[in-house]
Amino acid sequence: MRALCWEGVGKLAVRDVPEPRVRAADDIIVRVRASSVCGSDLHLINGYLPAMREGDVLGHEFMGEVVETGPGVRRLRVGDRVVVGSVVACGGCWYCRTEQYSLCDNSNPQPVFTEKLWGHSPAGILGYSHAAGGYSGSHAEYVRVPFGDVGAFPVPDGVADDAVVFASDAMPTGWMAADFCGLEGGEVVAVWGAGGVGQMAARSAQILGAERVIVIDRLPERLATAAARLGVETIDYSRTDVLEALREMTAGRGPDACIEAVGMESHDVGPSYAYDRAKQAARLQTDRLTSVRQAIMACRKGGTVSIVGVYAGLVDKFPLGAAMNKALVLRMGQMHAQRYIPMLLDRIAVGEIDPGYLATHPLPLEEGVRGYELFEKKRDGCLRSVLHPAG
Amino acid sequence: MVSKATRWVLLGVGAAAATGVGRTVARRRRRHQPERQDGWYVVRRGVTVDRPRDAVIGFWTDRERLDRALAEWATLERIDGDRWRCEGVAPDGGAGWRAEITVEGPGVLRWRVTEGAVPQEGRLELTDAPQGRGTELRAELRYRSGPVRRVFGLTAGDEPDLALRDALRRVKSLIECGQVIETRHDPSARSPRQERATDKIRDKLTTGGRA
Ligand SMILES: NC(=O)c1ccc[n+]([C@@H]2O[C@H](COP(=O)([O-])OP(=O)(O)OC[C@H]3O[C@@H](n4cnc5c(N)ncnc54)[C@H](O)[C@@H]3O)[C@@H](O)[C@H]2O)c1
Ligand SMILES: [Zn+2]
Ligand SMILES: [Zn+2]
Repeated sequence: MRALCWEGVGKLAVRDVPEPRVRAADDIIVRVRASSVCGSDLHLINGYLPAMREGDVLGHEFMGEVVETGPGVRRLRVGDRVVVGSVVACGGCWYCRTEQYSLCDNSNPQPVFTEKLWGHSPAGILGYSHAAGGYSGSHAEYVRVPFGDVGAFPVPDGVADDAVVFASDAMPTGWMAADFCGLEGGEVVAVWGAGGVGQMAARSAQILGAERVIVIDRLPERLATAAARLGVETIDYSRTDVLEALREMTAGRGPDACIEAVGMESHDVGPSYAYDRAKQAARLQTDRLTSVRQAIMACRKGGTVSIVGVYAGLVDKFPLGAAMNKALVLRMGQMHAQRYIPMLLDRIAVGEIDPGYLATHPLPLEEGVRGYELFEKKRDGCLRSVLHPAG
Repeated sequence: MVSKATRWVLLGVGAAAATGVGRTVARRRRRHQPERQDGWYVVRRGVTVDRPRDAVIGFWTDRERLDRALAEWATLERIDGDRWRCEGVAPDGGAGWRAEITVEGPGVLRWRVTEGAVPQEGRLELTDAPQGRGTELRAELRYRSGPVRRVFGLTAGDEPDLALRDALRRVKSLIECGQVIETRHDPSARSPRQERATDKIRDKLTTGGRA
């Protein structure tokens, strides 16, 4: 079958690879119909999460059709149209039973790297390097989904592939980011990053009760889309002093909650960006922290900073003093896909969230390399390229 | 036939089998030497299984497929009351090993490798984890390094320790979700040579772990 593979730092290619097989009783094989690019892939492609191997199949945000089930699969049938959470979860450990799926104890068969790096190993993630289990990803005609009954969810009829695909990753991530904020109604929430994740976080914050949502980015077309689709306010950080603007918009208080949906390749204007980039290039620090710093500085006293942008290692100049002395609540994590997907599917079905507009560039799998170029360089208004391996 | 009540000695077989063969995977020397007592290296490892103690013990009596899995690399034979003899072959077809397993009480067993690459003995204890978090499996492993290994500078060999951690992790996974997940032959565009190199890395990332 054909698949989009990583071929070295910054290099991708569509190649022939063997088809996956059912290998455990709980496995299902999914024929992929839509598989989206995600900001996390950029960290992998560019070598910031340094555990990719040449030939690895990328992709983790996807939906498709069940074409084969292992003998232990109960809930799903061949022919089901399903969306699959990008996080692999066993369903049987303490973390899974308490719905903290991205912390599953048993789904990363290669836990040593992250145990050394982080003290413990979180869950495996499909198509997400050998640090996250070495699973083959979804930018392929077929993909093996372990623990199929836990990770795959039948989708309602009448919802387009290119909309429901985001229930796999961008939506649950955005939802969890807003959920972390503990909103009670009437809050002001600021969101850094107007990518798929940031936009879904903004929409989720609205649904969970935020009165005002302010989205921060530098890409005018993304900010315009967010304003038009979601009715949020926006700040262009390349033209405006973000901290000043937020202070003014909240009459001095600062946002009640700040969501960071940018991640470790955070971009900045000014000298500290050059400094961060240089250190990152020399691998003296793995992560660039601009937006997290801003979120902490901007947040009101006693407010919540919710981080869903991905970070991997060590950072510099983390404003711990500000966080400590302002008594901030810091929440963060990889999202618990399986916990949120059924609820999100319901919300899509009734039209409360319509993520379909994120799929700005539907493309055949064969054009996957171009799909990533468009996405990475944010060309042509690309929010997300969605690959269609089934044609 | 092995009686239900004592079938959980299989858990001991699991631990003994993994450590008894002495793994041959090459890896970096550890910075921390294991603790030493009377010429033995001593390591203690634990893992928490999210099931009550009865279920952990019951697992080994319920699952026929464990028997089948076991049949391929070990046999279990009762010596008397609480003592069992266990005999196995190394998974790579290498030298076999022989161990004696003794059930010492409800939730405690000991094993002693009587023939194998690395002289060793171990103790496995099951206790209730706090907060209803299931069962703690605590293992203490003692092993010596033979003269040959000393000559080759392998005295600080951590293989039995790594293998024990592997074994505990696998046991936990089997009980909690019925399988030990594997991604080794997932599709990729690698050539056979690249795949072999990647398998070596997978080995390193798989072996040991925190347990
Ligand atoms: N926690 C999770 O489970 C999870 C899941 C999916 C994605 N993610 C992460 O979420 C992040 C965003 O993902 P995405 O798919 O939306 O990526 P994306 O690349 O489409 O969007 C990132 C956006 O951040 C903007 N940005 C860069 N620097 C900024 C700054 N200093 N201030 C404000 N905005 C800035 C970029 O212009 C871009 O629009 C990534 O780090 C990704 O890895 C996390
Ligand atoms: Zn993602
Ligand atoms: Zn789990």
